[in-house]
Amino acid sequence: MFRVKSPQDFGAAVVFMLIGLAGVYFGKDLTFGSASRMGPGYFPTIISFLILGVGLLIGLRSIAVDGPPIGALQFRPIIFVIGAILVFGILIDRVGLAISAVTLTLVAGYARRNVNLKENFALGAGLAIFTIVVFVYALGQPLPAWWGR
Amino acid sequence: MEFDFLNNLVTGFTAAATFKNIGLALLGCMLGTLIGVLPGIGPIPTIAILLPITFQLDPLGSLVMLAGIYYGAQYGGSTTSILVNMPGEASSIVTCIDGHQMAKQGRAGAALGVAALGSFFAGTVGTIFIAAFGPPLSALAQQFNSPDYFSLMVLGLVTAVVLAHGSVIKAIGVVMVGLLFGLVGTDVNSGVTRYTFGVSDLWDGIDFLPLVIGMFGVVEIIRNLEQPTMPRIPVSTNIRDLWPSMKDFQDSWRAVLRGTGIGSLLGILPGGGVVLASFASYTIEKKVAKDPSRFGKGAIEGVAGPESANNAAAQTSFIPLLTLGLPSNAIMALMMGAMIIQGIEPGAAVMTKRPDLFWGMVASMWIGNLMLLVINLPMIGIWVKLLSTPYRLLYPAVLLFCVIGIYSTNTNFTQLVLCAVFTLFGYILVRFGCEPAPLVLGFILGPLMEENLRRAMVISRGDAMIFFERPISATLLALSAAVIALIVLPQFRKTREQAFQE
Repeated sequence: MFRVKSPQDFGAAVVFMLIGLAGVYFGKDLTFGSASRMGPGYFPTIISFLILGVGLLIGLRSIAVDGPPIGALQFRPIIFVIGAILVFGILIDRVGLAISAVTLTLVAGYARRNVNLKENFALGAGLAIFTIVVFVYALGQPLPAWWGR
Repeated sequence: MEFDFLNNLVTGFTAAATFKNIGLALLGCMLGTLIGVLPGIGPIPTIAILLPITFQLDPLGSLVMLAGIYYGAQYGGSTTSILVNMPGEASSIVTCIDGHQMAKQGRAGAALGVAALGSFFAGTVGTIFIAAFGPPLSALAQQFNSPDYFSLMVLGLVTAVVLAHGSVIKAIGVVMVGLLFGLVGTDVNSGVTRYTFGVSDLWDGIDFLPLVIGMFGVVEIIRNLEQPTMPRIPVSTNIRDLWPSMKDFQDSWRAVLRGTGIGSLLGILPGGGVVLASFASYTIEKKVAKDPSRFGKGAIEGVAGPESANNAAAQTSFIPLLTLGLPSNAIMALMMGAMIIQGIEPGAAVMTKRPDLFWGMVASMWIGNLMLLVINLPMIGIWVKLLSTPYRLLYPAVLLFCVIGIYSTNTNFTQLVLCAVFTLFGYILVRFGCEPAPLVLGFILGPLMEENLRRAMVISRGDAMIFFERPISATLLALSAAVIALIVLPQFRKTREQAFQE
């Protein structure tokens, strides 16, 4: 049995191998063609195999050479930051920038511990006013300020 | 020739130096610094966040503003390096070493002033460089055929990989993943859609902004939130002595000259010349100094040299983009993306077909540089205030700018989902010790490489020897091989590791 000596490398190897495999698998229906008449599948398939190869090499290295640990994962920032992006996306063309901006700020606020709801609400309101003035009115970006378009 | 050179610059300045354009340069510069100075946001996310604002302007106006943003972002990066010791990108790591020490000794003003003045001088020389070498290089570029372009891109990618932070093999993987992502969408040759998984928003390929903003902007926010406390500005920071003293000038002007020379030359190299320039300049300054032990303890040459080199290289790295259509680093890839959105295909053709645009852009770079000096020196106090804002108030604002940037460019939900996906992906890469910057280069070059490979293979009827038979292509491949040989050599490897460690 082998032992993972470098967790970071091992993780990277898994990521690369998965991408390489996905590239080969989802590209299998694309015409490969030949070197002189390259089909749509030619270049992506070659690249995918190369990525797979790189993944394998890194994988081998991860069980041969010692490397740094990955470190404790913190799910709080990831979940709330990404959540804030998605919530903004869902809201923006329904309720407009004002409400979306405040909501984003409130959701993103939970990415930290010790949430201060009052402060975040004030920040959100300030940001909403600022972005509406700057992006909607001054720069004329195609964003609804209030409710639909 | 001499006359042409001046004539060209006059054409450029007439086009660029209108009241409106100067205003745009000023605005761009200010916004660039404003976002770029926020801790943990390097030039790449700064430019990405601000790009959408330029999209509705006319081509020249948008390029002028972009140039302003670019310099602002760079300078903002230097400011954070000096004040809070947080390099936003590889090329400002060197600035941190002595710059932050100076700040700790209460000489932040001198460091920032010298950085700005040195950058301005370097930028001016770099602009002249572009004006002088642009035309002959673009004449050379006319000789380029598909195989040569393909080999050129290979060289660019190889160099970018070698100069990337951390493990070389991981950088190779990251670049190739970028190439693959670049291929998503409709294949121009056959009209077949690839890797779109039935999502119609992907038919035109993965949009550039969600990818860049997700992988660089948002990932940075998450990374910063993971830190228990954010770095603080040293208490002793005093901006009172904003201007460098006479002695500072005397100590640093030679370093500025040397840095400018090194930077201008190295910047032309495809792939990572900017990073190389600042490291090279620092090493040289340390070598020529009478007392090398001052370095690392606040030597002003250690700021002046690399900052000038950095800026000169940043300037001349436009040369491969403008003459060959080849972005040499992630930032140039962003600029290229912006130009394409404006309907300008960077390459030799721009210079002949739209001289006003080409020379206007060259002139606007200089104007952007000037604006930097004009507004940033007096405004340093404001940037410092901004830097000392608690991060808990800053990051929701930055996140909001990110999503507004993406959404206002392409108003649909899919773009924000993509942004979320690439955030997650970028985070995973960083967590597994892979530097994500080379991915952007691969992403931009993916379709170009495929197209040129395909054309080359059609010309040669499938014979790969064509890449070695054409002199230009063979030379470029030989250079790539030499670069690869360099990293295999233990001597260079050691230097590289050392360089990145410092």
